[in-house]
Amino acid sequence: MKNRSKLQKIASGIWEYTLSIGIFIAFWFVYVRFADVPAYILPSPGVVWISFVDLFRTGMVWPHLWTTSYEVLFGFFIGSLLGMILGYIFIKIDFLKVALMPYLIFLQTAPKIALVPLFVIWFGIGIVSKIVLIISMVIFPVLSGMMLGLDSIPADVRNLLKVLKANRWQVFSQVEIKYSLPALFSSLKIGIVQAVIGAIVAEWMSGKQGLGYILTYASSTYKISMLLAGIVLTILLGIATYEMVNIFENKLLYWHESKRNQE
Amino acid sequence: MGQKENDVVIRDLDKIYGNLLKEDTVALKGINLSIKKGEFVSIIGPSGCGKSTLLKIIGGLEKLSAGTIEYSDPENRLGFVFQDSVLLPWKNVRENAEFPLVIQKKQTKENEEKLDALLDLAGLKEFSSALPRELSGGMKSRVSIVRALSYDAPLLLMDEPFGALDALTRDHLNIELLKIWSKTNKTIIFVTHSIEEAVFLSDRVIVMATRPGRIREIVPIDLTRPRDEDSRNDSKFGEYCRYLREIIG
Repeated sequence: MKNRSKLQKIASGIWEYTLSIGIFIAFWFVYVRFADVPAYILPSPGVVWISFVDLFRTGMVWPHLWTTSYEVLFGFFIGSLLGMILGYIFIKIDFLKVALMPYLIFLQTAPKIALVPLFVIWFGIGIVSKIVLIISMVIFPVLSGMMLGLDSIPADVRNLLKVLKANRWQVFSQVEIKYSLPALFSSLKIGIVQAVIGAIVAEWMSGKQGLGYILTYASSTYKISMLLAGIVLTILLGIATYEMVNIFENKLLYWHESKRNQE
Repeated sequence: MGQKENDVVIRDLDKIYGNLLKEDTVALKGINLSIKKGEFVSIIGPSGCGKSTLLKIIGGLEKLSAGTIEYSDPENRLGFVFQDSVLLPWKNVRENAEFPLVIQKKQTKENEEKLDALLDLAGLKEFSSALPRELSGGMKSRVSIVRALSYDAPLLLMDEPFGALDALTRDHLNIELLKIWSKTNKTIIFVTHSIEEAVFLSDRVIVMATRPGRIREIVPIDLTRPRDEDSRNDSKFGEYCRYLREIIG
């Protein structure tokens, strides 16, 4: 019975999603057809679809998709790890938080597009500068989430651990990391979206590989249908990576109040 | 009263909160108290009299400013039941109750069997795999009590554990607590706002006064044990309640 209602929920979700996209494409199609919009301004959905399929049929998209996916996942992993470690250290050592937090805020508020040339000069035109940019975009939200998570542990839970004479590792592994998960996953979801944006921006500005490069190439050669196909592919990559984080969240946060309605 | 008979002996205890801008706050002043092994003692008093602070100091969760506390147990093992049941939301009932054994690496077969017996005694066996969010307030309180009893701590400190529950559930849990206490033979120090609860449960009621927090009177409760619902209809029960109400004002 429970499985059936779960399946019904999934089916209804897919139906609503498809309907929403269908209505959008229908409007797009009707607008292009009846407003007589030239293809170099906005091609019809059908033309974009052909261009999208061509990217895969010719096989030209695979190395670019691989490069971007690798950058996103690797940069996100390192950025998240650093964010979590720094968040933990900042909560435990107030002096380091006071000393280092302003630099991280500078990094976060600086326009990322302006940092790319700087990173290229420092780290070269290859993958390192792109990974560094992604890390710089992921680290801050994850650090903030980790700090919020650790701060939200009830005082009496800490008292309980004190009464039980738990050691530092037990406090961290048994309680702190698990209590931090809700806030941490909220920040990881922001982080993964930031990672995709970071990768595309970095590839747009430099390099000869990646989905960002496809977008630059299509834009500079006025291949609008290819540009739109590239944008769609970037969005799909964003959704796929976001959903990966979502799957982990559902697995690890099964106990959280927010998951009650998903059962 | 010999030292060996006591589980906890408190002498001349003061607790003062220092303040840079204002005068220091004296939370507790000149507390002297001996609690016997296996005794059930309640602490009552008006808000701000320092009863929870005293319990936290006995539990080692707050430092004392002056005086001494002696424990009969050289390792100072104790269980603490907080006002909120403080269950870990990702652990089910059994895992929460087992948590002290995990932390203290005492998951022996004997302890696990003892834990199962306690869960059974508290009426929680059927709910062993339920998550805290699926439990009522009363059941959460029971889990936190079983958790505090699951390891070999001779002293159990309870800080208004039933304070957030409705009167019926509270009465029911009071009877269950007495049943568990009679079988485990622990020393219990129980902080409460409820005079009726204190009289029903205790061997002695410690009445505290405020500003500064101090012991006003210690009232021995001479009601027969085991106690049940009928004990509340005993004329002596009513007299004790009236007397305590008069002292507290």
